[in-house]
Amino acid sequence: MSDSRKSEANNRPASALRDVVKIVKLDDEVAAGNAVFYKNKDFLALRAKLENENGEREEKNWDRVFLHRAFPFDDPYEYISVLDKDQNEIGIIGDLRNIEPNMRKLIEEELERKYYTPTIKAIKQIKERYGFSHWKVETDIGPLQFTVQDTYRSIIRVTSTRLFVVDMNGNRYEIPDIHELDRKSYRMIELYL
Amino acid sequence: MESQKALKERFLELDKTVGPGDVIVVLPFNLTPTARKERVDGLVGFTKDKIKVYRDGALDVEYDIANVKEVKCVPGIGCTNVEIDLGEREVLLCRADMSMNLLYATVAKRLNRYLESGVFDASFEEEVDIYCPKCMRPYPPGSNVCPHCADKKKYLSRLWDIAKPYKGYIIASVIMYFIISALNMLGPYFNRILVDDYIKAEEIPEFAGFLTVIACIFGVSLLSRVLTILRSLTMVEASNKVITKLRSMVFNKIELLSLKRVSKRTAGELINRVTGDTATVHDFITYQLGEIVQQILVFFAVSLMLFIYDWRLALMILLPAPIIMVAHRMFWRFIHVRYDKQWTLSAKANSVLHDIFSGIRVVKAFGMEKAEMERYDKVTAAERDIAISNERTFALIFPVLGFFMGIGEFFLLYYVGNKILGGTMTLGEMQQFSAYVSIIYGPLNWMANIPRRLIRVMTSIIKIFDIIDEKIDVADKENAIDLEIKGHISIENVSFGYDDSKDVLRHVSLEIKPGEFIGIVGKSGVGKTTLTNLVMRLYDVDEGSIKIDGYDIRDISQESLRSQIGVVLQETFLFSGTIYENIAYAKPDATREEVITAAKLAGAHKFIMRLPDAYNTKVGERGYTLSGGERQRIAIARALLHDPKILILDEATSSLDTETEKQIQDALQQLAKNRTTLAIAHRLSTLRNATRLVVLDKGTVAEVGTHDELMRKRGIYYNLVMAQRQMNRMSPEAAKISESA
Repeated sequence: MSDSRKSEANNRPASALRDVVKIVKLDDEVAAGNAVFYKNKDFLALRAKLENENGEREEKNWDRVFLHRAFPFDDPYEYISVLDKDQNEIGIIGDLRNIEPNMRKLIEEELERKYYTPTIKAIKQIKERYGFSHWKVETDIGPLQFTVQDTYRSIIRVTSTRLFVVDMNGNRYEIPDIHELDRKSYRMIELYL
Repeated sequence: MESQKALKERFLELDKTVGPGDVIVVLPFNLTPTARKERVDGLVGFTKDKIKVYRDGALDVEYDIANVKEVKCVPGIGCTNVEIDLGEREVLLCRADMSMNLLYATVAKRLNRYLESGVFDASFEEEVDIYCPKCMRPYPPGSNVCPHCADKKKYLSRLWDIAKPYKGYIIASVIMYFIISALNMLGPYFNRILVDDYIKAEEIPEFAGFLTVIACIFGVSLLSRVLTILRSLTMVEASNKVITKLRSMVFNKIELLSLKRVSKRTAGELINRVTGDTATVHDFITYQLGEIVQQILVFFAVSLMLFIYDWRLALMILLPAPIIMVAHRMFWRFIHVRYDKQWTLSAKANSVLHDIFSGIRVVKAFGMEKAEMERYDKVTAAERDIAISNERTFALIFPVLGFFMGIGEFFLLYYVGNKILGGTMTLGEMQQFSAYVSIIYGPLNWMANIPRRLIRVMTSIIKIFDIIDEKIDVADKENAIDLEIKGHISIENVSFGYDDSKDVLRHVSLEIKPGEFIGIVGKSGVGKTTLTNLVMRLYDVDEGSIKIDGYDIRDISQESLRSQIGVVLQETFLFSGTIYENIAYAKPDATREEVITAAKLAGAHKFIMRLPDAYNTKVGERGYTLSGGERQRIAIARALLHDPKILILDEATSSLDTETEKQIQDALQQLAKNRTTLAIAHRLSTLRNATRLVVLDKGTVAEVGTHDELMRKRGIYYNLVMAQRQMNRMSPEAAKISESA
């Protein structure tokens, strides 16, 4: 295969992919004035004029929308899926930071409600017994105690310094930077890194 | 977690308007419904006419229960919510961290049943509680016994009950332990006589006496070895017998448990119970129990000897012992942490390797060899670095530690040397002492480990008995009947969920006449397989009943029920063995002719005869690899050989090409004449022979009727058919077949 043909082959699929599948970027639609997130009683709602299958714009209202992060660990504020009641995707917020502050606050509130993750400030104790480890920690919401099953595998290492601990109930605790922990805390968690 | 009783009391404290009999259930919560992070202390009380939410002791909001259409548990990530549907709007009732998720889900489901029927089933507490109520520690996975609070004596006495038939062995080996310990004491004693009375004797000793002492030393040593061997043999014999018995008890119990109970645990966990936990107990009985007894005996015997000889000397040896023990433990803990790290890294390197090799086709196809090499290099380099650093630490610290631990011995030497020079001690006595000192340090190090070992074996014993004690939930009734099945199935108002949080089937009713061919269709996840599982009684229904020929299946013995139901599952599982053995699995006494007939009916005979070893071909793990379609045909043959009155086909022909499927369908059609058949299929053409079709949607029966009736109805089935036709049009080959069908 000659070089020119090779590069042609390399280029084609990428553009073709975008032609076949369209991602509805809701942050762009909000910026263009085609979509509005608003609060409906307890929940987040959306009114938007989006393109339907025939490429025509059609105004629709969703009394309640659900949010789901596509990369909850890597980047919690990019690529947030907006879903309707039946879990069908309405669109994706490409970057939450693009949305104007008032609306953004509503969305962040809804995210905070769905993703509850205390941040660990210090580790007081990790005690292993009978296959469980019992943790006593200091978090941004005060002191907490929890139990982790199969400790090594219950720690999600996002980068070499940032990690999440998942307890036996499914609660998550974030340690944004292990090097910012005090020495005593660090030594306790070092074993599991 | 607080008990319902305590919660109700707390709720009644807060709310004076309701009487104790009016409270249905109380849910606690600890997060605010809004997104704020702080924790709260809240209660939601469900009473006969209201739902009242109290936050931090004050009434927050209340709703009329008459307006509630549905109660929903909506789990988030790291938190969980209860919402109520009031018809015109939904309301977030309460929110808590995930420790309440199971409680919320269970209670929500039961409240919905309450809204329908007016009866609240309050028997959920035991199931949702994963913490020991006594010590608040979590139970081990899949268990309801807390290892901290369990009565350990009770378990040991039960273990002893199992060991009792072999008590002869055990007593014999304990006696041998005593003798061996005593002999070990004698060795140094004879040594002293040898040195003092003969080697360093002031006058020439008699040769005969000298020989006697040598003979004694030789005899003691020989006897001690022989007894050690005998003891090991008896102990091995006893422990193996006990463990085999224990193991088969656990395995038999697991086989008897219902699928619901068994699938609560992973296969790995079950295997671990049968082999791992029993192996821990085995090792303990064989090696450690005796050793502990012996070491304790030796320790006390030697201490006694030392005190009798010279109490000051004994104190000099024994007093530093605790310090040495502590130093030792600290050293090992330090080393342990580092080696643990090395171990995890090496496990990581292995798993990377495993990953790469099992995906080697993908790696090569995408040309990622180089990237994978780098990935592997990176983890091995990390492992190498920590290994070097560990070895370095070990090489440095261990000798130094040894030196410091030996310092005590220098003092001892000084003290003893002084005594020898002063003439109050002989060289032989000194030798005897040194021997005892080296003997006593062994038990000391050992004893430091005893608590850890005891905890480990106790945990295993408790876990083993936990399984053995488990209640069999899908059990035969005492007066269960053996029924000659004709094939009339009536499903009456059946509701069922695998766990307590969600119903898979809701109020399903269906009447199936003998000999009918029923096709079950619907989207994936609507409960098709579940329905057939219930007919087989792999699970018991939560509500309603299933009757065969007018008898509730819970009144029919499981053996008689299952021996007359033939099943071909979507995932065909072949056991390791020959094709013949696999077909004859449920009917081991089948003749060769019967097996061949069944294989022919299933369309399997042709490909089996093409294999070099035909019916004797080994399949399953490490056997001949069959294709998905071939395996399915063997599974069909297995079900047909059974000659069942009720035939269940769960996607039985999905891996076959359309032509082969048609052949088998025709054979099945012949066969289905006198039997009731329940067939699940996604490919709707599979069901063209069905007398009736049942369409399931969201756990309920949405449509029932013949193909023509349902097509005229233009409902769910019509849409499914249309969608598949469209699909077929895309591939001309498939279209040809569907036209001919």
